[in-house]
Amino acid sequence: MRLRGYRGSDADLLAGPWLPGELLGLPLADWPPLAAPTTVPPPADPGQELCIAPGLGFVRYTELDWVHRRARVEIGLHGVDGLDVLLKTVVAHGFLTLNLSRIHGWVTPLVDPPIGLLADVGFQREAVLPEATWLDGRPIDREIWGVVRND
Amino acid sequence: MTEILSLQRLDTDMAIAELKSCGGAARGFLGLDPVTQNDSLLAAELKSLQAQLFSAGETVVGFAPNTDQPRQAYVASTSADPEPLRALLEFLTTYQRCTTFVAMVPDGVENCFADCGFEQVGVLPRHRWQNYDWQDVLVYVGRADSCRS
Repeated sequence: MRLRGYRGSDADLLAGPWLPGELLGLPLADWPPLAAPTTVPPPADPGQELCIAPGLGFVRYTELDWVHRRARVEIGLHGVDGLDVLLKTVVAHGFLTLNLSRIHGWVTPLVDPPIGLLADVGFQREAVLPEATWLDGRPIDREIWGVVRND
Repeated sequence: MTEILSLQRLDTDMAIAELKSCGGAARGFLGLDPVTQNDSLLAAELKSLQAQLFSAGETVVGFAPNTDQPRQAYVASTSADPEPLRALLEFLTTYQRCTTFVAMVPDGVENCFADCGFEQVGVLPRHRWQNYDWQDVLVYVGRADSCRS
């Protein structure tokens, strides 16, 4: 699988029924019908790298820090097929193409993401933050998962 | 009851000047680094974070709201003295109705979060590059009911 740059015709892939900022943004089955879909903006500044997984969704490297060589990753997918391959591509693109040393992201355990796939590509749970986001009318916990490049 | 220290709100220019005057103590303050970042970049970062900074004597404290959870704030202090942080937490609890606080502190830096009732909840490995080496960042969490004086 290859990631490519964002084009104007990819705008439909930038919105969907997933939690904002999620490392594994997969469609939530019980998304409230009146809630607007979560949307990420098209790339507007050099502090982010927005990539497209054709037919699947987007991968956004945000909070890019070239001094500390790290980024926070958000993924928004409209299906789960090929997620394992995509995650390998996300890590490889971050480390080899962007030359980052560390990639991290938010994971919300309550929505039951496939964290085994994250562990398979080297991610580890690094911190658990209580009440860090809002879902179904109440604050819920979030975790920080990260992977560090081993040179 | 402990007397609460008074805080003075800083505008962006004053906040940057105060952070720079703190030198090494301000490195990692809300993720900023006044040693390697210039004024315009610091101003842009503060605006992006929606951060508000305050001074208490020679200490600078500040917070940035968690945009995904309005009752949570990221907090930082340039000093290991717990009193300015306690004053900030009192302000956030009373006027911003925050219930939880998060602090991210470079490893090896003396800090006051444990003294203010914070609990360490994780470590972000190699999160920063400073002094020609990678540096871990410690993650602390505090709750309004246990952090106030």
